Amino acid sequence: MPINSWFTSNNNGTKNSPQPASPSLEKLQDQTISNSLEETLQVIQGVMQNEDDLLVRRFHVFAQHPAVLIYYSSMINQTMVNQDVLKPLMKEMPSEKVGTEQLHDVILNDTLYHSQVNTDDRYTAVIEELLRGNTIVLIDGLTRAIIINTSSIENRSVDQPATEQVIRGPREGFIEMLDKNIALIRYRLLTPELRIKTMEIGRRSKSRVAVCYLEDIANAELVNEVFRRLSVIDIDAVLDSGYLEQLIEDNHHSPFPQVQYTERPDKVAANLLEGRVAILVNGSPLALIVPSVFNQFYQTVEDYTERYLLMSAIRIARLIALVFSLIFPSLYVAIISFNPELIPTEFAVAVAGGRAGVPFPAVVEVLIIEISMEVLREATIRLPQQVGGALSIVGVLVIGQAAVAAGFSSPITVVIIALTTIGSFATPAYNAALALRLLRFPLIIISGIFGLYGVMIGCILIANHMLALKSFGMPYLTPLVPGNFQGMKDLLIRAPLTWMPERPAFLLPKDKKRMSQASIDEIKKTKPDIVGPKANKEDP
Amino acid sequence: MSNMRQITTIQSAAVQVSTIIGVGVLALPLIAVRAADSGAPLVTLLGLMVGYVGLFAITILGMRFPDQSIIQYSEVIIGKWLAWIGNLFAIVFFAVLTSLAAREFGEVVVTSVLKSTPVEVTVIVMLLLASFSCRNNIITFTYLHHFYFPLILFPGLGIVVLSMKNADLINLQPIIGNDPSHMLTGVLTIGALFQGTFIMTLVIPAMRKPQKALLAGFVGLLIAGGLYVAIVVAAVGVFGSEEIKNLLWPTLELAKATTLPANVLERLDAAFLAVWVTAVFTTLLSSYFLTIRMASEMFRLQDHKAISTFLLPFVFILAMLPTNIIQLYAVIEDVGRVGLYITIAYPGLLLIISLVRKKRGNQPSDNVMEPLH
Amino acid sequence: MTTLWSPFTKFSMLALLVLPLLTGCWDRLEIEDRAVVLGVSIDTVKSDGVEDDAVTHMSGAIPSPKSGYYHVAVQIALPGRIPLGPGEGGGGTTDSSQTVWVLDTFGHSLDDAFMRLQQQTSSRLFFGHLRVIIVSEAVAKKGMDNINDFFRRNSEVRRMAWMMIAKGNAMKLMKAAPKLERIPTLYLMTTLDQGIKMGKFPRDYIGTFWSNSTKKGQEGYLPYVELQKEQNIEIKGLAYFKGAKMVGKTKPIQIGTFMAVKGINPAGYRVFITLDGTSKLIMISTTSRHVSWKSSIKEGHPHFDIDIVLEINIEEKMDQDFDINREEILRQIELKLSEGTTKACKLLLAQTQENSSDIFGFGEYIRAKKSRYWNAHVKTKEQWQEQYKDITFDIKTDVNVRRVGMKAK
Repeated sequence: MPINSWFTSNNNGTKNSPQPASPSLEKLQDQTISNSLEETLQVIQGVMQNEDDLLVRRFHVFAQHPAVLIYYSSMINQTMVNQDVLKPLMKEMPSEKVGTEQLHDVILNDTLYHSQVNTDDRYTAVIEELLRGNTIVLIDGLTRAIIINTSSIENRSVDQPATEQVIRGPREGFIEMLDKNIALIRYRLLTPELRIKTMEIGRRSKSRVAVCYLEDIANAELVNEVFRRLSVIDIDAVLDSGYLEQLIEDNHHSPFPQVQYTERPDKVAANLLEGRVAILVNGSPLALIVPSVFNQFYQTVEDYTERYLLMSAIRIARLIALVFSLIFPSLYVAIISFNPELIPTEFAVAVAGGRAGVPFPAVVEVLIIEISMEVLREATIRLPQQVGGALSIVGVLVIGQAAVAAGFSSPITVVIIALTTIGSFATPAYNAALALRLLRFPLIIISGIFGLYGVMIGCILIANHMLALKSFGMPYLTPLVPGNFQGMKDLLIRAPLTWMPERPAFLLPKDKKRMSQASIDEIKKTKPDIVGPKANKEDP
Repeated sequence: MSNMRQITTIQSAAVQVSTIIGVGVLALPLIAVRAADSGAPLVTLLGLMVGYVGLFAITILGMRFPDQSIIQYSEVIIGKWLAWIGNLFAIVFFAVLTSLAAREFGEVVVTSVLKSTPVEVTVIVMLLLASFSCRNNIITFTYLHHFYFPLILFPGLGIVVLSMKNADLINLQPIIGNDPSHMLTGVLTIGALFQGTFIMTLVIPAMRKPQKALLAGFVGLLIAGGLYVAIVVAAVGVFGSEEIKNLLWPTLELAKATTLPANVLERLDAAFLAVWVTAVFTTLLSSYFLTIRMASEMFRLQDHKAISTFLLPFVFILAMLPTNIIQLYAVIEDVGRVGLYITIAYPGLLLIISLVRKKRGNQPSDNVMEPLH
Repeated sequence: MTTLWSPFTKFSMLALLVLPLLTGCWDRLEIEDRAVVLGVSIDTVKSDGVEDDAVTHMSGAIPSPKSGYYHVAVQIALPGRIPLGPGEGGGGTTDSSQTVWVLDTFGHSLDDAFMRLQQQTSSRLFFGHLRVIIVSEAVAKKGMDNINDFFRRNSEVRRMAWMMIAKGNAMKLMKAAPKLERIPTLYLMTTLDQGIKMGKFPRDYIGTFWSNSTKKGQEGYLPYVELQKEQNIEIKGLAYFKGAKMVGKTKPIQIGTFMAVKGINPAGYRVFITLDGTSKLIMISTTSRHVSWKSSIKEGHPHFDIDIVLEINIEEKMDQDFDINREEILRQIELKLSEGTTKACKLLLAQTQENSSDIFGFGEYIRAKKSRYWNAHVKTKEQWQEQYKDITFDIKTDVNVRRVGMKAK
């Protein structure tokens, strides 16, 4: 199992990356362990400052060599330390007496049952491993410390993804532990071309970052660029993949997300198969996918697992909701305050009646209701789950009704805002929905100044921004602009799988074929009526 | 450094279409009808032919010098100083064209929708929008056009289709018009509406296959010209030529006389005008981009962004010069016809000289297409 | 540092430049702050008895025209009186006299009158929802140049509004309160819109009227209406124009005749047919028409051959004595009707020729098809108005009975 391979590659990563260590480690840079146990112990304890959960257990290896076992009691698997480390070292007597010079090899080759064992002679490496929850064995006379992977950190079990629920599709979501997440991806793509390269980012967090891609599909330049962007990051801690996202994206000031995140391993696998690169961070249940283009933010897993005709319709509905959530309120303001001649006469007169008691201009009214809606929405997220559900429904109903009754807003405004808010929740990607939801505020304001003309100017500004935006060099609106016919089959509608035998060309995959032509031909053949009525020939 | 030769044939055709279709469409039927009443569609068609002449001159030149724009190859063809004069005229002309388009649209907006908004504001907003978007490189510039191209084409076609049910064929006959005496001026004025084809000089050096520029230009102009003719046919068919003479912006009036089925929107003029902002924007974008790119190339500047900001006040002042709308249209027609010298005669001259002197630029390696002889 | 600050400074400088421009909301005018004008009526008034308010003119400084006065009334929707939604229960009222407000004033011109009205109302008059313009017959006969010009120049007025000529006083129609619609003018509008669908009236919105009256070889026509005692209106015929002046009107049935000559579908008029004597009365309805015009120049004047093909159904029979289940009877009906139609068409054509009002657009047809003749002999609208009197017609009508209803005989 290549999970243990991280141990070596991770060490390589540390050596290759020019990361300055923490101040206390910096002092120990390039110092190696001395062969005096007491001296080494002193140095280590000097750095660790006698933390409460730092356990130092003295014992004798093979009943003759004084040794010490160091670990953080909070981070290790106690049984493993007892059974797999301490017991063999103390009980497995070698047949002949072992001198200090052979000790190293004997312990590694004959004694320890554990598979993830490594040795190192640098203090910095030893202390880093200790911090990771590994167990260090120091033996008197030995200039290399034995590092045994015993870390066991409590983690929640693989669960339904909380933010990306689907009706049809796998029920697994990523968890915080990187190794588990990698396993979730690996078992979906049983191909030796799946590359998972890990590196460490974060001076203090030393977060393990895994870059996953399919060697024979992903464009090599893209992979290089991902590594380049990740390698220049020098930050104290990467607590979530969100930090990384902001550090590797192309335009830092754009409201639009240029990197997609997901907590679904199947989504990551699908994206890897299209030639994208996924980035996972230890401690974060959200994987990043680059490069990301806008159309990914309104697609869901179900689009591909369900029948294409229905899901195409639903995708279009989602897209309409997306556009609505952006421009509906500003359109309303423009029509009410600037161009009431556009709506049918009878309705216009009735709307005027509905607004007759409202003291504010439409733009202010819409802004007030919009902002209160945002507040309500934010409150619902932050509230404890037990009260949240009650507040959201009751709150909206009561406040809406009361606002109308108090002459604070017109009933139509409430309808418009409610539609807008609901529309914005129809977008599967939270960050994309958020971008559009916030952009509608400037749009409302500009429509309050210039009416429809202003709405249009605002939309042009947004569109221009999106057209100039790039994600890892890929234009954000691909495959719409620049046009790509293969990609367009998956843009507005989701074409049947047999129509898309090739991977989207805009990702410049090395291997273009997704389905073989022979298979498509066979699938498209008329099927014989195996269990049709003709089967019952013997019936009279 | 990414490859700068990325523009596809379709994209360059889209650039053509969205550059050409602009604010001129609003007054187009009036200009055409003034020239030859019911012969207006014919006048438009002939104007389109004039546009084609300019297009072919600039495209064939571009294909002879596939790595250069007119600023650079004109210096090769006729020498630095002569080229300098010609190019200066071209730059000034496109600056004026930008300002007039912005002003014309500002007038339309202020007359029909935003009656109390100062025209300065609507003009400066459009100009700012254009100058902001001009700060991108030619690739993003093409993306903008490519994106807006359907958004411009379909509302225009929509108006045509929706209003066709009220059209009367009698209004369109006789095809040559009853009084075709002003036909020539009308053809030239409408030909001037197709001056956006000049943008090809900037597009060709970034085209993936410069040898296909002629096809792209041809198709682009065909689509734009087709829409122009369709709009004139619709306007004349619905209103009749005499009524159009009473209307300042017949296309807008056409939108006013059109309702969406099932009364979703009762009248389309304000909505049409709002959608038309994109068309005007792309036209302004192109002409302003031409101005600043040509200027920065002429003065050997690395970056055209600074010029974009620097020229803005001048263009704005130019836009505010005409005192009233009647004068504005007189100026627009005059400038348009003078512009024909710059957009047709100048490249034509360059082409002839380059043919005579047998000058040509580096050809792309694959499959070189011979220019016409 | 410079790379970090330069976009920011640029942006803030730009913001400083633009923000002052954005502070105004010049055109924002809330829908409830607009006096939504739904209908306008224009009457004539005797000059004496008008108190001159001097809103748009001032004796001495800004002279007023010497022309007479218009009496202009507007119907303004009262916001709040018309409930949102289907409106059961709610606080609104469906009595139309309470949903709208009719204001009237006098003016030398339309704009003068509206200016005076504006002087009397707090909200700005908004013409974006103007659906019906009613002009009294007297005004129409004096000429509608001013009216056409004002409404065409105003960008708010829609081309799909209706203009009608009222018999007698036009303001009465503004004040009428029909029961069917919440908003009275919408009732007027619906009457005509439905009329188009039922084949009672051709599509003749104000825009069509304008187009027709500007055409060189055509004249405009408008619906001629009268208020009935139950506050409803009746379409009394076509008011036809010569230039901008109304020169005559037709009978209601002649609208059908007009539509027959023009070949406008759907057809909806019903007529009596008398078969061999007064006792055998049958009523038929026309369902569709096919018309072809052919022009030629005969003896120096345009000549038209008009072929009308009518499809009819039998609607009602006045007598039990005879059956109509025989081919010959149907033939007879067809023959009778074609005779009648031809005569009716000739009458209408003669009537319009007398008034030199070519509402059919024969002149346009000549201009389009015989442009050489047009350029040589006509050229202008005035010329055509003269020549229209001299054109000759050959009318041929074919009638096809298609259905007789559910009854077998």
